[in-house]
Amino acid sequence: MESNVEVTVRVPTPLRTLTGGADEVKARGATVAEVIADLEVRHPGVKDRLLDEKGVRRFINLYVGDEDIRFLEGLKTELKGGELLTIVPAIAGG
Amino acid sequence: MSLVVLVGAGGIGAPAAIALAAAGVSALRVADDDRVEVSNLHRQILFGDADVGRPKLDAFADALQRRYPRTAVELHRGRALPSTAMALIAGAAVVIDATDNFASRFLLADACALAGMPVIHAAAVRWTATVMAVSARGRPCYRCLFEDAPGEGAPDCASAGVAGPVCGVAGAIAADRALRVLAGRVDDVVGAIVTFDGRTDVLRSVAVRARPACPLCRDAPTIHDLDPARYQPRTCEL
Repeated sequence: MESNVEVTVRVPTPLRTLTGGADEVKARGATVAEVIADLEVRHPGVKDRLLDEKGVRRFINLYVGDEDIRFLEGLKTELKGGELLTIVPAIAGG
Repeated sequence: MSLVVLVGAGGIGAPAAIALAAAGVSALRVADDDRVEVSNLHRQILFGDADVGRPKLDAFADALQRRYPRTAVELHRGRALPSTAMALIAGAAVVIDATDNFASRFLLADACALAGMPVIHAAAVRWTATVMAVSARGRPCYRCLFEDAPGEGAPDCASAGVAGPVCGVAGAIAADRALRVLAGRVDDVVGAIVTFDGRTDVLRSVAVRARPACPLCRDAPTIHDLDPARYQPRTCEL
C-alpha cells in the first residue's frame, strides 16, 4: 500500500539525468528506505546510484532536514511527512 | 607571515588565490602539474588566450603577481603525491584543496590530519559546488563525510563539465574559510559542508558530525601514514 507520507527530495546535479532535470521531486514513504524505493519507481536508476548491497554508498550522504541519517536511524529513519531529504554526493572537480 | 598552500591552480584555485591575495595574504604556495588548455579559460580566470600551452603554474604566478605584487608566490611543480604531500604542506597556516580528483582529496585530508593542519576542501562539478573546512584538530574530517571515492565507470571531470561561475563560488567560499582560519575563527566554519547549486541559486550549509568509526580522526585511528595504495586514481563523481 502506498504510504501517505510525502517528502521533498533535493536532487544533486549528477542525478538529474534520472529525474528529467528536476532539482526537487516528491516521493512517498514512512522511512528513508521506502522513499528511495518510491523514487526508484518514479525515476528508475536512482536506487542503484544511492545504495549498494551494504546500504548507502560510501560516497553519498543523505540528510533529513539538516541531520545526516547516519546519526539518526540510517535507512530506517522514520519520516512524518513534509521533510526535506537532501542527497550530498562526493564531487572532486576543480 | 601566514602561508596558504593552494593545491590546484584551476577553476577553484584561481578565484581563491585572487581573494586571498586581495585580502592581504602574504605568501601563497601553489601546486599543479598541468598546462593551460582552451577548455580551461571559462573558469580558470587568471588565464587568457596567450597562456594556452603554458604551464599553469607559470601563468598563474605571472597573473597573480601583476595584480598583487606584495603576495609572495612559491611554486610547487607537480601534483600532491604520497611522497611529496608532507613537504608540500609544510609550514602552512591553512591548506586549500582545490584538486580535480578523489585520490588527491583523500591524500590531502590524510596529510593535513597527520600534520595537524587545517584544510579547506573545495570542489565543483557541473552546477554543484561543495566546500568543507576541517580544523587543525581534524575532527570532523573529510573522511567522516565521504567514506570512500566513487568507483570506476563514473563520468570524469572533463566529460561532466563544470559551469565557470560555480567554480567562482567555490573558490570564493574556500577563500572565506581560509581567511577565517587565519583570523583564528576556524570554529565558525568547521562541522559543516556548504553546497551551492548553480541552477537554482540555492546555497546551503548542512552539519557534518564526527563519525565514530572514522579511520582518520577517531580516538584510535587506523590511518597513520600516506600509504600510496590508499590513493589510487578514481573518477570524479557518482
